[in-house]
Amino acid sequence: MEAIRVEALSKKFVLNNRPKMLKDWILMNDRQKKKEFWALKNININIHKGESVGIIGRNGSGKSTLLKIISKILYPTLGSIETFGNVSSLLELGAGFKQDFTGRENVYLNASILGMNKQEVDKKFQSILEFSEIEEFIDQPVRTYSSGMYMRLAYSVAVSSNPDILLIDEILSVGDSKFKKKCIDKIMELKSIGTTILLVSHSDSMVQRVCDRLIWLDKGEMVMDGISEDVMAKYSEKMI
Amino acid sequence: MSIINSLKEIYKYRNMVNYFTRSELRNRYKGSVLGVFWSILNPLFLLLLYSFVFSFVMKISIPNYLLFLFSGLVPWICFKSSILTSSGSIVGNGGLIKKVYFPREIIVLSSVMSNFINMFIALILIVPLLFVYQVPINKYYLLLPLVIIVQFIFTLSLSMIVSAFTVFVRDLRQILDIVMMGLFYTTPIVYKTDMIPEKIQDFFNINPIAIIIKFYQDVIYHNQMPNIMSLAVLSVCCIAMLYISHKIFSHLSKWFAEHV
Repeated sequence: MEAIRVEALSKKFVLNNRPKMLKDWILMNDRQKKKEFWALKNININIHKGESVGIIGRNGSGKSTLLKIISKILYPTLGSIETFGNVSSLLELGAGFKQDFTGRENVYLNASILGMNKQEVDKKFQSILEFSEIEEFIDQPVRTYSSGMYMRLAYSVAVSSNPDILLIDEILSVGDSKFKKKCIDKIMELKSIGTTILLVSHSDSMVQRVCDRLIWLDKGEMVMDGISEDVMAKYSEKMI
Repeated sequence: MSIINSLKEIYKYRNMVNYFTRSELRNRYKGSVLGVFWSILNPLFLLLLYSFVFSFVMKISIPNYLLFLFSGLVPWICFKSSILTSSGSIVGNGGLIKKVYFPREIIVLSSVMSNFINMFIALILIVPLLFVYQVPINKYYLLLPLVIIVQFIFTLSLSMIVSAFTVFVRDLRQILDIVMMGLFYTTPIVYKTDMIPEKIQDFFNINPIAIIIKFYQDVIYHNQMPNIMSLAVLSVCCIAMLYISHKIFSHLSKWFAEHV
C-alpha cells in the first residue's frame, strides 16, 4: 500500500521578490529582475506504508523543501503530491508554543495544532509527561524553561500523536545523549508498529540506524534512490 | 479544497480554535491589573466620550442618547476590531505558518471569535443602562441571536479576504484603518438614519453593517420589531460571500508560507 506518492514534482522559488513599492510603479521600474530558483526538479518518489526512508544531500539540495511540500506547508509549482493517512511532522519543534502558557497548556495547544482532540491528549498526557521528564515544572510557564526542557516537551507531544506518516527534519539534536537515545528508541518503536517514516538528516549514523532506504538529492535533483548501504556508500565516496 | 472538506478539517482542529481564541483573549490583557474588565471599560469609556461630544456639546436631539449609542457602538467595535486584528493575523502568525501545517482558516476564525467574545462581555453593560433609563426588556431580544449569527458570517467572510490579501499587499492594514474610520462616520451609529438627507439615504441603506446595527438599535433602543426581511436578504448575501471568500482564501493560502 502506498503512503506517499510524489509525481514529477518541481518547486520554484522567486528570489529577490521584494514587494513592488509605489516608486517602482511610478518609475515603471521593472529592472529588479526576478531571479528564479528551482529548489526541486522533477522528483518522483513512491513510498510504501511502513517504509522508513531517509533523504540525504548537501545543504541546499532541496531536502527540507521536499519535506515541507509533503507536509503541505508549501505547494508544488509543478507536479503533484499525495499522502495517504495521518501526517505528523517534526519539522520545527515548539513552533506553536506560547511563552505565557504553562507546560501543561502548551501540551494541549501543541497537540491541537497537530489535530488531536482533548480526549486524546487527556489519555496520553501522563505518557507525554513521563517521556519529557519535565516533572513538576509542567505547571510553570514555558518561558521559564531551559531550551533543553522546551525541546523535550515539544518532542514528546509530537511523537505522541501516533501518526501513520512521520516526517522528521534534523531535530534529533535534542537534549543530552540519554534523551537522544530515548528519541531514537521511540522512532524505532513507531517504525516497528508500521509507521511510515521520512527523515532528513546530516547525521549518517542516525540515518543508517533508522532508514532502510535512502534518497539522495543534489541541487534539487534526485541522484540515487535505493537500499541504505548502497546509497550511503556512493554518497560517502562522492563527499570525500 | 471544497467547503465541506474544509469544514470537516476545521472540526478536526476544533481544539486549536479553542486554544487560539483563548490565547488571543489572554494576550490582549496580559499583565494588566484589570484584565478582562477592559472589555467593559473600553467601550464604556468610548460611550461616555461620544455622548459627551455629541449629546452634551453638539446637542444632538436623541433622547436616552447613551442607550442609543450603546446599541450601535458595541456591535461596531466588534466588527471593526475583527477586521483590523484579522488583517494582520496571518502575517502575525507567520512563524507558525512557515513551520507547521494546519488549516489556515483557523487563525482568522479564532481572531474573529475572540472579538465576538469581547462583544458578549461588553453587552453586559446593557443591564445598568436599561436600569438607569428605566427601559424594560422586550420580546424582540429573542431575535438578537439571529443578527449575531449574520454579523458573524459577514465579519468572518470579510476577515478571510483581508487577512489573505494583507499577506501580499501589506499596505492593506493601513488602508483599512482609514476605511474603518470612514465607515464609522457613514454608518448611523452616533446619529440616526432619519437625520441623513433623503437624497442620499439610499446610499446608506446598502451598507451591510448599517443593516446589522439598525437591527440592534431597533431591539435595544426603539423597542420595535426589527426588519427581518432585510436581515434575511443580507444573510443570503453573507452566505454567498462566505463561500466566495473561502474560495479565495484557500487559493491564496497555498502561498502564505512563502510570503509571510
